[in-house]
Amino acid sequence: MATAAAPMEPRPNVASATVRLPAVKDYEQIDREIIGTLRPTLGWFAALATAILCLLIGVAAWFYQVYAGLGVAGYHPPVMWGVYIISFVFWVGIGHAGTLISAILYLFRAGFRTSIYRCAEAMTVFAVMTAGLFPILHLGRPWKFFWLIPYPNWRLLWPQFKSPLVWDVFAILTYLTVSSTFLYIGLIPDIAVLRDRETNPIRKQIYAVMSLGWRNSDREWRHFTRAYLFLAAFSTPLVLSVHSVVSFDFAMALTPGWHATIFPPYFVAGAIFSGLGMVFTIIIPIRKFFKLQHYVTLNDLDAAAKMCLFTSLVVGLAYLTEFQIAWMSGNKYEQDYFWNRVFGQWAWAAWIMIICNMVLPLSLFSQKLRRNPSWLFILSIFINVGMWFERFVIVVPALSHEFEPWQWGSYAPTWVDYAILLGSFGWFFMWFLLFIKQLPVIAITEMKEVVPPRLRNVGGGRH
Amino acid sequence: MPGLIGAFHELDATVSAIGELRRSRFNELTVYTPTPRHELEHALEAPPSRVRVFTLIGGLAGASFGYWIAVWTSEYWPLVVGGKAIASWVPYTIFGFEVMVLVGSLSTVFAMFALSRVPRLTMTVGYDPRFSGGHFGIWVATSPERAKEAADLLKKHGAVEVRHES
Repeated sequence: MATAAAPMEPRPNVASATVRLPAVKDYEQIDREIIGTLRPTLGWFAALATAILCLLIGVAAWFYQVYAGLGVAGYHPPVMWGVYIISFVFWVGIGHAGTLISAILYLFRAGFRTSIYRCAEAMTVFAVMTAGLFPILHLGRPWKFFWLIPYPNWRLLWPQFKSPLVWDVFAILTYLTVSSTFLYIGLIPDIAVLRDRETNPIRKQIYAVMSLGWRNSDREWRHFTRAYLFLAAFSTPLVLSVHSVVSFDFAMALTPGWHATIFPPYFVAGAIFSGLGMVFTIIIPIRKFFKLQHYVTLNDLDAAAKMCLFTSLVVGLAYLTEFQIAWMSGNKYEQDYFWNRVFGQWAWAAWIMIICNMVLPLSLFSQKLRRNPSWLFILSIFINVGMWFERFVIVVPALSHEFEPWQWGSYAPTWVDYAILLGSFGWFFMWFLLFIKQLPVIAITEMKEVVPPRLRNVGGGRH
Repeated sequence: MPGLIGAFHELDATVSAIGELRRSRFNELTVYTPTPRHELEHALEAPPSRVRVFTLIGGLAGASFGYWIAVWTSEYWPLVVGGKAIASWVPYTIFGFEVMVLVGSLSTVFAMFALSRVPRLTMTVGYDPRFSGGHFGIWVATSPERAKEAADLLKKHGAVEVRHES
C-alpha cells in the first residue's frame, strides 16, 4: 500500500529504494500507456512464429526419441545424465529470480521491483513449466512419470520418500503452483482494469471472467493486501528451498564433486544469478520496443544490476570454495576431479563458466556500465550461457571422472539433445510472448501506488 | 439497500468525505480505489483482515499432512536397509515444509476470495469502470429520507458526480 510521500531531493545517479517516475503524471497515463503495449505488432508475430518453430523442432526430436529410445540422446556410460538434467537445473534456476523479485524484494520494500516484477514473475512460471518437462524427457518411459506422485493405487505402491527424486517432485510442483497463484493473484486487479477499458464485447467478457468480478472495493483490497503479504512470506523460504532440493539430487550422491554441503547455498545463489540474467535478457528489449523507459528506469536497472553483481560474487566464492574443500580434504578423488575439471578434459567448459559468471559480471562495479542497457543485455546473454555451462560442469565432469580409471569416459550431446534444448527455448518464449500481448507486462495497480495520487490540497494526503 | 455513489478525482477529498460521512452516522460505506491506499484504510478504520487465520490453519494442516503421508507410507511398507530408521524425520521435513507452503498458500488465496466475496458474477450496484482508472468512489447505502443529506455531503467534499442507485 502506498502513501502520498513528501517530495525528496532528486538524486538522479543513485538507484534508490524509493522509486520516482518523473515522466509518469497520473493514473490515466499509466492505464493508457501500459494497455497500449497490448496491441500486437508485426515484430511480435515474427518472434512468436520463430518461437513456435523452435518448439516444433524440439517436439519432433522428442517424438523421434520416444520412437527410437533414449540412446539417441547422447547418453554414454558412465555419463547417464546429460543435457536434459543440465537444462532442468538451468530452467529451474531461471525461475528463481521472479519469486526473488516479487516476494523477497516485496518484503524488503525495495521499490525498484515494482516495474520489473510482473515480467520476472511470468518468466518464473514459464521457466518452471519448461524445467518440469525435462525430468519427463529424461525418462525412458515418459508416460510413467506420474508414478512419482503419491496417489492411492490398487497395487498399494508408494514412492520412496527418502529419494531426492521424490523431493524434487514435491518441490517443483509446489513451486509451480505457488508461483502461478502468486502471478494470477497479482494480475486480478490489472485484468479488472483491462475489463473496464475494453471495447470489444468478447474480450471484455473474457476479462470479466478472468478478473472474477473484481471491483476495487476497500473490502477486496484489505484482504488482497494481507493475502499478498502472506503469499510473499511463504514464497520467500520456498524459493530458497526449491533449489536446495534440486542441489540434493547431486549432493546426496557419493560422487566426487557432488557430495558437498556447500551445494544448497551455492545452487540458490547461482539460480538467482541466472534468473537475474534472464530478467535482463527479457526486460531490456521489452523496455525498448514497448517504449517503457520511463517506467523501467535506469535506476531500476542499476539496482537490479547490483543484485546481479552481488550474486555473481557469491557464485564465484562458491566456485573457489569448492576447490578449497577439495584441496583441504586430502581426498585424492576429489582433488583429481577438480583438476580434471579446470585443467583437463573439461577445461573448455569450466573456463566458459568462470569467464561468464565470475569475470565479466565484475564490470558491474562500474556505475556507467550498470546504467548502460546495451551492456546489460550483452552481459545477460553471457550470463545465460555461463550458467548453462555451470550446470554442464557440475553434471558431466563428475560422472565422467569417478573413482576408478576404467570407469572414466566422455560425453557429447547429439542433435536430439540440441533440438530439444532449442525446443525448450521455443516453449518458454512462446508462452512469454503470448503473455505480454494478452496481459500487462508491468503491474498497472502497483505502478499507481508509486505515482502520487491527485490531491485537491497539494501537500496534503499524508498520514 | 438503495444508496448513492459519489465519484472523486482527488484522494484527500475522498478521505475527508469518508470522515464526515462517518461522523454523520452513514456507516454503510464502500470505498472504491484504483490502488490500495493507507489513507483510505485509516479513514475507514476497518478491522484487520482475517486471512491470517486461514493461513495459519492451512499451514499447520499442510505440514501435518506432509509429515504424515511420508511416515505412514514408510511404516505401511517398510524398506529395511541396514540399521537405518524406517521413518526418518530429517528427509521428511522436506515434505512437511513443501506441503505446508502449498496448503498454506492455497488456503490464503481461498480466504482472500471468500472474505472478499470473490468471484462475483454480477457487478455490484454503484460500481463504475472509472474506479479502476483514475477515480475514487464512495458508495453510501442509505434510506431515501437521508439520501439528500448524503448527496450534499459528497458534493461539498468535491465529488465530480453523485448518482442515486438502487
